[in-house]
Amino acid sequence: MLTARWLHKFALLSAANLGSAAYAEGAITLAGWGGTWNEAYKTGITDPFTEKTGISVVLDEWDGSLARVRAMVEAGAVSYDLVSIEAPQLEMGCDEGLFLPLPASVTAQAPHYLPGTLHDCGIASDTWATVLVYDGTKLTNGPKSWADFWDVKAFPGKRGLGGQALYTLENALLADGVAPSDIYTVLATPEGVDRAFAKLDEIKPHVVWWSSSSTALQNLDAGEVVMTDMYNGRVTFDNENNGKDYRIVWEAGFLYGTDLWALVADAPNPEGAAAFLEFFAVPENQAGFPRLYGYGTGDARVYDHLTEAQRSRLPTSPDVIGYGASYNDAFWAENLESLEQRFKVWQSQ
Amino acid sequence: MRPPQPLRPSALRGQVPYLLMLAPLVMFVLVTVVVPVALFLFRAIDNRELQAGFPQTAAALSGWSQAQGLPPEPAFAALIFDLAKAQEEGRAAALAARLNQAVPGSRSTVIKTAKWAATADLQGASLREDVLDQGKAWHNPALWSVIAHETGRFTSYYILTTLDLKRGPEGQLQRLPAEEALFLTILARTLAISLSVTAICALLALPVAHVITAARPRMATLLLAMVLLPLWTSLLVRTVAWIILLQGEGPVNATLQWLGAVTEPLRLVYTRGSLIVTMVQVLLPLMILPVLAVLKRIPPEQMRAARSLGAPWWMAWRRVQLPLLWPGLMTGAGLTFTFALGYYITPRLIGGEKDQMLSSFIVFYTDKTLNWGLAAALSLQLLVILALVAGLLAGLHRLTTGRVR
Repeated sequence: MLTARWLHKFALLSAANLGSAAYAEGAITLAGWGGTWNEAYKTGITDPFTEKTGISVVLDEWDGSLARVRAMVEAGAVSYDLVSIEAPQLEMGCDEGLFLPLPASVTAQAPHYLPGTLHDCGIASDTWATVLVYDGTKLTNGPKSWADFWDVKAFPGKRGLGGQALYTLENALLADGVAPSDIYTVLATPEGVDRAFAKLDEIKPHVVWWSSSSTALQNLDAGEVVMTDMYNGRVTFDNENNGKDYRIVWEAGFLYGTDLWALVADAPNPEGAAAFLEFFAVPENQAGFPRLYGYGTGDARVYDHLTEAQRSRLPTSPDVIGYGASYNDAFWAENLESLEQRFKVWQSQ
Repeated sequence: MRPPQPLRPSALRGQVPYLLMLAPLVMFVLVTVVVPVALFLFRAIDNRELQAGFPQTAAALSGWSQAQGLPPEPAFAALIFDLAKAQEEGRAAALAARLNQAVPGSRSTVIKTAKWAATADLQGASLREDVLDQGKAWHNPALWSVIAHETGRFTSYYILTTLDLKRGPEGQLQRLPAEEALFLTILARTLAISLSVTAICALLALPVAHVITAARPRMATLLLAMVLLPLWTSLLVRTVAWIILLQGEGPVNATLQWLGAVTEPLRLVYTRGSLIVTMVQVLLPLMILPVLAVLKRIPPEQMRAARSLGAPWWMAWRRVQLPLLWPGLMTGAGLTFTFALGYYITPRLIGGEKDQMLSSFIVFYTDKTLNWGLAAALSLQLLVILALVAGLLAGLHRLTTGRVR
């Protein structure tokens, strides 16, 4: 008796340890971004899904690495049904056949989706933006634009920028007066790339490059930098949970990025995954996550189900979307390597 | 000290039980390390994708060179054939990714062309115009040149790239233009950081080891615990602790300002200095422990004898003790250097943009762009350096122990 119960417990424990091994018949395994993101997704989306369909969900945490998906598919040992993955990686994985096309009922929703948020192989799990942020307790009259971010006379002090070409080249062009929606027309030409680097030359001595969002905000908090670019969700989280007064300057212009749910080739439970995608494609259901978290969604109808306070945190809400445009994932899928290489050379000079 | 003799067959027979006992370890290392690493490193020269990708096109391009501009009509027909085949066999995306590495910006055109080639009705159309209509990548002779020249089972492309070299239109070696030449800088930087960390660790370890050896047992235990403490703390915690210590409003700057040593906060964090300090703190135990182990075995009478024969302390230490310490120092240096060479998280968190080491680029190509060939070539570079250092240390070891004898 005791042994049987112990064995049962042990089995449950080892299933939990294996993490991705589905321990209930018919369960689906989702890989999300972990931490508070997973918590909000569980409460807002996957718990209601289980309640409605009886399909249990294992919500795993992963690092968004396409290399991992490729290795799993190549080895024939796929443990995830759906993964939330960044759009450029989705683009590459989709072309390689690592992700499967979405059910037609989901792709049929396309007219309601913002640019970049519904792909043949993926539906936005969340949208986020890289925004201009300053500390409201330190600057009373803060920057209003990316040009202000570049203006070291009016706003003396160091600035924080992510240490990579992705996002940073866009920010430089915004500062140079390019409208968010024109960024990639400019960046697609060699002259446009030169223009972005020339703009970065102006600010280079005043930049503290960050490599993780934690150090970026730590720098802002400690006064190491007077303003920084940052993911909006991190900023909102610190304001709401750690009593900070960081201000997001939406009107400066921003680009939003999309993470998408993608169906992995040879997934262990494709029917369950399809059921989840169909559930998720209903605006009312999808509202469960942005209600709890500072990340938006691709479906414009979802915002009708949110309060004004909930909407105000989201980059893709109707209130601020006019200041933003989508990152161009096809552009980055082609140019990430060469531009990142040039950026690193530029940094080393 | 006679060098060890190779085992003769009769001696080997007695060793069989030991060899059997070793078998699980050998198997384990083979299966979990040697084979996967070798398979991954093989990607540094692997060219199967391109070789299998364009057999017809490459044949049609023989005799053509980039200087002639776009290739003749038959090459376009062969291209459509090859791409259609690749599309049907599910190889087109990988092919496009591979071509995009060599000629950035060609990926989407290749994918589009492959999809079109697999379904297009080609009766009587001008194939050349059709292909050129698919995208501007096909207007670039450089792309055709890659298809024409990269036809072998193996490629030197990745390894050349890690040395900032490429093949020119006629196959000759060329330096990459200045705005693309990156990897030699990174390699030099990685070596410089690892070597300075190793040297500083050695300089710090010697006095500490001496003090621990000379201290009373209880004190020695306490000191040893202090040396080991960093090893028991998470790498991330230690690194972030240094960021907080060194930042503009951190305790170090506050103290300096209070003392009046500086008026403006010094920029201490995100510099080469902060990176080296953090790495030294993390890696110091790896240097101290082997030095300590050797030092404890050196009889203190030897120093005393040297001193009593009239040698000044410095000379006695240099001529008597240091040679005996060499094996410990070299083990320590080998360990410290090996670990330092592969550092990734610490430079990312606490180094500046000019302090990023090779590993961070390996991660970038493995994870972000899936360019495993280049990642493998960079890993190979690290491995070659390690092999050279191991060889150097072994040579030094033989030399120094020779001198003692």
